[in-house]
Amino acid sequence: MASTAQAAPAAAAPEIVAWGRVRPGRRIADRLLKVLCVAFTVLGVFVLGWILAMLLVRGVSALSPAIFLQPTPGPGSSGGGLANAMLGSLILTMLGIVVATPVGVMAGTYLAEYGRTSKLASVVRFINDVLLSAPSILIGLFVYTLLVPPLGGYSGWAGAVALAIIAVPVIVRTTEDMLRIVPNGLREAGAALGAPPSIVIRSITWRAARAGMVTGVILATARIAGETAPLLFTALNNQFWFSPTLMGGVSNLPVTIFQFALSPYENWQQLAWAGALIITAAILGLSIVARFVIKKDLAR
Amino acid sequence: MNTVSAFSSAGLGKTTADASAPVRVAVRNLDFYYGDAQALKGIDLDFHDRQVTALIGPSGCGKSTLLRVFNRIYSLYPEQRASGEVILDGRNILSPSIDVNELRSRIGMVFQKPTPFPMSIYDNVAFGMRLYERLPKAEVEVRVEQALRKAALWDEVKDKLKQSGMGLSGGQQQRLCIARTVAQGPEVILFDEPTSALDPISTGKIEELIEQLRADFTIVIVTHNMQQAARISQFTAFMYLGELVEFAPTTQIFMNPAKKQTQDYVTGRFG
Repeated sequence: MASTAQAAPAAAAPEIVAWGRVRPGRRIADRLLKVLCVAFTVLGVFVLGWILAMLLVRGVSALSPAIFLQPTPGPGSSGGGLANAMLGSLILTMLGIVVATPVGVMAGTYLAEYGRTSKLASVVRFINDVLLSAPSILIGLFVYTLLVPPLGGYSGWAGAVALAIIAVPVIVRTTEDMLRIVPNGLREAGAALGAPPSIVIRSITWRAARAGMVTGVILATARIAGETAPLLFTALNNQFWFSPTLMGGVSNLPVTIFQFALSPYENWQQLAWAGALIITAAILGLSIVARFVIKKDLAR
Repeated sequence: MNTVSAFSSAGLGKTTADASAPVRVAVRNLDFYYGDAQALKGIDLDFHDRQVTALIGPSGCGKSTLLRVFNRIYSLYPEQRASGEVILDGRNILSPSIDVNELRSRIGMVFQKPTPFPMSIYDNVAFGMRLYERLPKAEVEVRVEQALRKAALWDEVKDKLKQSGMGLSGGQQQRLCIARTVAQGPEVILFDEPTSALDPISTGKIEELIEQLRADFTIVIVTHNMQQAARISQFTAFMYLGELVEFAPTTQIFMNPAKKQTQDYVTGRFG
């Protein structure tokens, strides 16, 4: 009856039965869980690494100065680059984030500082969460019906609006979360000096949450930089240099990658790889900047 | 009596209470509610000008709640409300017609945890005075220095005024908060357990500071530490379960309390 050994009276042999021994069952369970955790972590990292490695191998070989200087080539013609698509993506992303940031920051501030547990705040928070996980193609279709026929066709403006709609809930959420972790004592201390809420928010809580809020905006930028679906119905794409008024199709990286990757032309496929690498590098760069902002703020 | 021996060594009676000092804040029949729960019951209490009044009592007795009524900081939370009267300079501060922000510029508060704002030491101190006064830069500089000197912090920070206030030690941060409050030139300063997060040396510095600030301000301090109350206050109010049990000069509360409950508490028999 080995299993009852532990239940034996302590008086039997207190010096021989070491008091600190882990029960074998527990040790096995612990090891099993550890192995499972490590195995699935390795699996996840491996898949990510695989994607990155493939992107690097195929993308780097397709990189050339022409990519940054020449516009996308026509079907069947050789050479060409992605200059128009990169500039278009840059403009659309910037416009989107410039529109989304004030909306998102203000709404997030309302939720954290004014609305808090009120009915309106709960409703806004719920809608924001829905929007956060809404399929981006739906947002593209929505902006299409709202802007594309009235403006007389596809335009960069419609694309920027669609991207902004995707960025807003991300910024709302991070702004609210970051403001919520600002200790209430700081707000009380500001109020105790006679500062009205507007000043407490502007000079104290925003400042305290600054790093987190900036990070939220950077991550939202990274998110919309790679969005494809909302642009399909709005900015569409452009094989050539787009109009400076942003009316008509505006070339952009994600849709270009989508079209070129599916094309039968070898050089288009090459360009798609290069474009994918460029977007990934840009997003990686933004994430690193975001981390740097947080670190720098913590060190302050 | 052993109460006497316990506190005489702690410096009790260093300064005697001046009951003839004018009343700065008068509390009349004050009730306070957190939602439906009543936390203060019919408090009547006078705070004398340029005296330190300590509020003591076991946890949950309502001493911090009472302190938070004086600058209406409780009104940040909609479920909290007070009724009754708190008279400051002839006006009932609980009246809806009072501008709470102006009230708070006249009644300063120092909290349990140091709360430096995420800005430079200089801006921390200048924050309060900039709210209500348009001051030339030179005068702000003068007053920041004065306040930091009053808070016994000047020598430690005079070379790093542009650095963040968050980088100071806990005791320094608390003195920074005191400087910030003093700089605004309030009439009354409320201290809510200002040393409970600090080490003994920082605590000693803050206590000295309070003793000095008494020359210019009416001071109310909530403390869990009875020796501290004995050391630094002239008047002491003992509260229990939301009621004021006894209010008297500190020497009397600690050496010859009128109520048995007070005696039991200050001698450590409960609480």
